[in-house]
Amino acid sequence: MNRPVRIALTKGRLEKDTVDLLEKIGFDCTAVREKGRRLILPVPDGNLEAVLAKANDVITYVEHGVCDMGVVGKDTIMEMKGKFFELVDLGFGRCKFALATKKGNDFYSGYGIKTIATKYPNVARSFFEKKGMDTEIIKIEGSVELAPLLGLADGIVDIVETGTTLRENGLEVIENVADISARLIVNTVSLKMRQAEIERLVKLIESNIN
Amino acid sequence: MKNYDLITPEGTRDLLFEECIIRRGVENVLTGIFSGRGYTEMITSGLEFYDVFSLNSRYFPQENLYKLTDTKGRLIVIRPDSTMPIARVIATRLRDAVLPLRLYYRQNVYRTGPLLKGRSDEIMQAGIELVGSDSEMADLEVISTAVESLKSLDMEFSIELGHIGIFKELVSRLDVSRREREKIRRLIENKDFPALNDYLDTFGRTPVTDALKRLPALFGGEEVFDRAEELIPDDSLNIRRILSYMREIYSVASEFCGEGGNISVDLGIVNKTDYYTGIVFKGYLEGHGDEVVSGGRYDGLIAEFGYDVPAVGFAVNIDAISKVIEKNGILPALPRIDAIVFAREGFEADAFRKAQELREQGLVVETALSGDIDSVREYARERKIARIVIAGEEM
Repeated sequence: MNRPVRIALTKGRLEKDTVDLLEKIGFDCTAVREKGRRLILPVPDGNLEAVLAKANDVITYVEHGVCDMGVVGKDTIMEMKGKFFELVDLGFGRCKFALATKKGNDFYSGYGIKTIATKYPNVARSFFEKKGMDTEIIKIEGSVELAPLLGLADGIVDIVETGTTLRENGLEVIENVADISARLIVNTVSLKMRQAEIERLVKLIESNIN
Repeated sequence: MKNYDLITPEGTRDLLFEECIIRRGVENVLTGIFSGRGYTEMITSGLEFYDVFSLNSRYFPQENLYKLTDTKGRLIVIRPDSTMPIARVIATRLRDAVLPLRLYYRQNVYRTGPLLKGRSDEIMQAGIELVGSDSEMADLEVISTAVESLKSLDMEFSIELGHIGIFKELVSRLDVSRREREKIRRLIENKDFPALNDYLDTFGRTPVTDALKRLPALFGGEEVFDRAEELIPDDSLNIRRILSYMREIYSVASEFCGEGGNISVDLGIVNKTDYYTGIVFKGYLEGHGDEVVSGGRYDGLIAEFGYDVPAVGFAVNIDAISKVIEKNGILPALPRIDAIVFAREGFEADAFRKAQELREQGLVVETALSGDIDSVREYARERKIARIVIAGEEM
């Protein structure tokens, strides 16, 4: 019961943004900044413990309750789903999911089944399901932009920040799928069993964003 | 062809030694609590027709069911839940039974979970159903049984109360389609405040949307009721009635809960809104990331099988509790073997007689299977059996 509240951070940019936020609140994040290769780090004056993990794993750890809270992108949440509370839109890590095709391509024309390449098969499937469109989804691990260029897919569903990669490869966004930003998620039991501690932290975070 | 003859299917496992003792121990404590309150056991068929669950298909999505066909080609499922089969039996064979009926069950349910998430597909559940009364005493009896169940485990626990009627009343005053209603429900269930606020804004700002926005924040102790009173629209007499009912339930439940446990409130519990009709509750244990108890009032369910009778009940996830006990390192002792009886050649019957005599004195006694006394001594040393009795010597 007395272990510190554990917060799982998505390694990389979201981790940096979250550490900035925690420092703005006034927590001492020296250990996290000078982490070396350690993966569990104390944030002393907040009775917090930061755990560094890949985005998908942040959700897994929070779902199982071995981490009480997590910071993860809406993109991962949409793809992974899962049971947790999604309490706060942290406002950073903004980008969007978009549908893109080769420039000048009329994606919706004809009655043939479209092939979509994506790193986010669940997001792509549910987007087209809502339109009542049968599509073939192909999971790609690396640069999704390649698939339409090589003729494997008619379009891609992917994260777009500035759109530079798309432009430089002759692709264009034809439709927005969803807006994305970092979210604070909380385990459903932790929020109840450690309500006072977690609510205090959530209030501090809420009053220090945007 | 690949052989899978050395492992069990994904989501299942064999239980050994301490694991079995822990699990049976939890089962026995719980069923002892249930039967002490006049509940009698019911065992339902492990295989059911798919139709029993398709009535409530939203809660038993077909992709989560283990399915097969019978010899006539009809679709069969391996029981994914115990309450629906019990409702079926109540509406048929127990239609003329004297009410209220108090039933309990202790059996496995099977659901295909997401792969590689560390979840079980085979879950041992124990639970009760109190059928035939919609009184406050019925709600209290079931909640107190849930409290008693968690209390018996000697760990920090919390029982959280909610009422599905608040959400239903609020959302009924909003002009929304079934799909929109489901979206609002899901956002409240996930306490997804940012998306909930944005979505409700599209319906315009009214006292009803304001109340819905705050619903997921209404959790905590008794003060929640005061906050709720302030939030709900002035003309919501129904909700006021529900709140004062909840206050009563809360105060009685807190009284019999006492130390060691905690009764709390979450008016944002909106799971299974078509299934539950009144009070709902969940139970949590320190050290487990998901609820271990889940229950509520479901007055419309048995009517779906053609017999309109109110009911309230809950289920306990025994596997989850057993895992917490194992994780906490409170391992039970395996039964100790007190003695081993060795039979000299020709004294086999004496050996069994002697062993039985010792058992009657309350000892746990093995018979030696080897004819070689030295290997039996060696075995006794390894298994830490203190006493070796040689049949045919002192008899």
